[in-house]
Amino acid sequence: MASKKLRRTGLSVELCDRLKRHQIENCQDLLSLTPIEVMRLAGQSYQQVLVLLKSVSQSCAPSMTTALEVWKQRADLCFSTSLPGLDRLLQGGLSRGTLTEVTGPSGCGKSQMCMMLSVLATLPKSMGGLDSGVIYIDTESAFSAERLLEIAQSRFPDYFSKERVLEMAGRVHVFRELTCQDLLNRLKRLDEDIISSKAGLVILDSVASVVRKEYDTSLPGNLAHRSNLLGQEAATLKYLAQAFRIPVVLTNQITTHVGDGGERGAVSFTGGNYDNQEVAHQGTDPGLQPIRVWTGFNYNLMKDTCAASGQLKLL
Amino acid sequence: MQRAVSSYPFAPSVKVKLLNAGFHSAADLCDLRPLQLSKEAGISQEEAVEVLQAVRCEPGQERAAASQLTALELLEREQELGSIVTFCSALDTALGGGLPVGKTTEVCGAPGVGKTQLCIQLAVDAQIPVCFGGLGGKSLYIDTEGSFLVQRAVDIAQAAVEHCGLLAEDAEQQESLKEFTVETVLSNLFLVRCHDYVELLAETYLLADFLAHHPEIRLVVIDSIAFPFRHDFDDLSQRTRLLNGLAQQLIQMATNHNVAVILTNQMTTKVWNGHSKLVPALGESWGHAATQRLILHWEGTNRLASLYKSPSQTEATVRYQITAQGFRDVPHSNQPKASVDPTVSQSGSMSKRPRMEEV
Repeated sequence: MASKKLRRTGLSVELCDRLKRHQIENCQDLLSLTPIEVMRLAGQSYQQVLVLLKSVSQSCAPSMTTALEVWKQRADLCFSTSLPGLDRLLQGGLSRGTLTEVTGPSGCGKSQMCMMLSVLATLPKSMGGLDSGVIYIDTESAFSAERLLEIAQSRFPDYFSKERVLEMAGRVHVFRELTCQDLLNRLKRLDEDIISSKAGLVILDSVASVVRKEYDTSLPGNLAHRSNLLGQEAATLKYLAQAFRIPVVLTNQITTHVGDGGERGAVSFTGGNYDNQEVAHQGTDPGLQPIRVWTGFNYNLMKDTCAASGQLKLL
Repeated sequence: MQRAVSSYPFAPSVKVKLLNAGFHSAADLCDLRPLQLSKEAGISQEEAVEVLQAVRCEPGQERAAASQLTALELLEREQELGSIVTFCSALDTALGGGLPVGKTTEVCGAPGVGKTQLCIQLAVDAQIPVCFGGLGGKSLYIDTEGSFLVQRAVDIAQAAVEHCGLLAEDAEQQESLKEFTVETVLSNLFLVRCHDYVELLAETYLLADFLAHHPEIRLVVIDSIAFPFRHDFDDLSQRTRLLNGLAQQLIQMATNHNVAVILTNQMTTKVWNGHSKLVPALGESWGHAATQRLILHWEGTNRLASLYKSPSQTEATVRYQITAQGFRDVPHSNQPKASVDPTVSQSGSMSKRPRMEEV
């Protein structure tokens, strides 16, 4: 709503024209100024400016709800990952409307998990799926269509007949973005793609690779630039997740954090405050916020991917 | 009566006309009728009436009379307002009873340390009925990051309701327990989701009216205030100006409407002199915005909360933990000396003053 034009907020035409002469055209421009600046530009008294700001705020403020209403709509709030142990950890599954980050060292199975989730999303609701399309943004060229079909056929051999498998493959839309700017542009346009492909799941694999390729953080200024970029990406993804009420999954790489011991996600979105849930895959490694205490989960990669083995370990 | 005309909040064009007509101070304007003023200065009649009313009522003197309180009256007022418990008794003691109502508090910390947990806990605790020692109020949660999870709020509310159920002794408490259920707690927790800083600013402009319409609100949570301001701004001075304006509005709201305001901030790495340190985000000047500052940090696997800035309490560091029931104390057997002496934590950090000179 920030880009709502002032003309549509109910202000008088001369006031809008007067503000336009100072390059103030939408709500964002007006609210970014302090009241004293607005006094000068709009030529009004302080009290009038306060009233003006209130009416503009009313037209672009978000709506209010209560926790009870959100709770009542929670029925279809989760997307099951088909691994009962993991579902229990995540309290039902991947939460719709939030970002989930999957982190781990290379080769541990993040892309495999993403492909499995894509297959699951296309399943009908009776089988625990979302019966929807999937948007898969691949930055590492790790997506293999053959593997996708193999997973589908090994995991659900009865359901996926020849035609069904091809139909499923047709619902997974893969975008290859190899540079940061391309990725950002794609994310900015993603809402159109989500609507046209009726997507119920968005996967970004991986966030870290493009950024690590292009930004050498030892050079000054690059760190801030990189954080900025990641911030924009995260904000866009969060908005998409929330607006369409779909789960969004990102993968991240692992880097060794010297000094503290232990490993962290390679690319932390300005302090890792951007994600709502993190699932670290490393056999027994911890990671989860903000729901639970640190827990671990063992898994195995097999032909039909990610069959759970072992139990939950509380750390 | 010697106040200059240019210091009044009139529209700029009106001021210019008044000055050109020779009216420089308030004394020049008194004893004038609106029609005379409008003819002499060349302003419209409505504007003239506005000008004369502003000059005549001398709000300065009236306000001085109204806000002339003695410290004793202030003390009584503050004690009436009460505070919101956090269910972690060590932290409550350090804060002097809990989160103070009528003041703004800032909670900073690294990701995952428990800021949102604390906020959700407080949003539930603000609703504890008066006969259990709570405020019996409602809460407003402004979420800018999307980290509010309703399932978690349900868990915390359930634990709080059970806790009060165990404590209920007399008939009055039993009565009020009927009103204090998970459902009512959730329905009294107002939720707003802001996606960027413009929506946050818009919401703050509307907040004063909202609080006036809902006088039972005792807590306003903004989680977090850092996220929308950290990645969209090229012009840092504009960001500082907006943040200062925001801080002022929040302080005003806290005092005028008797609410506790709690803001969450993130941490950023500051590299200086070859060392890097975690400091609260949003810059140095933001440090002055909140009345109290609480920094949550890790030490190994322990979570610590340090009261870093407070007008009335000493600095202290306490341990806490996050359980399935919410924000809680660490059981006594594990509790190290909850140090009032703020020299713990070899990470050279945030529980010690002075801040800039330490290495």
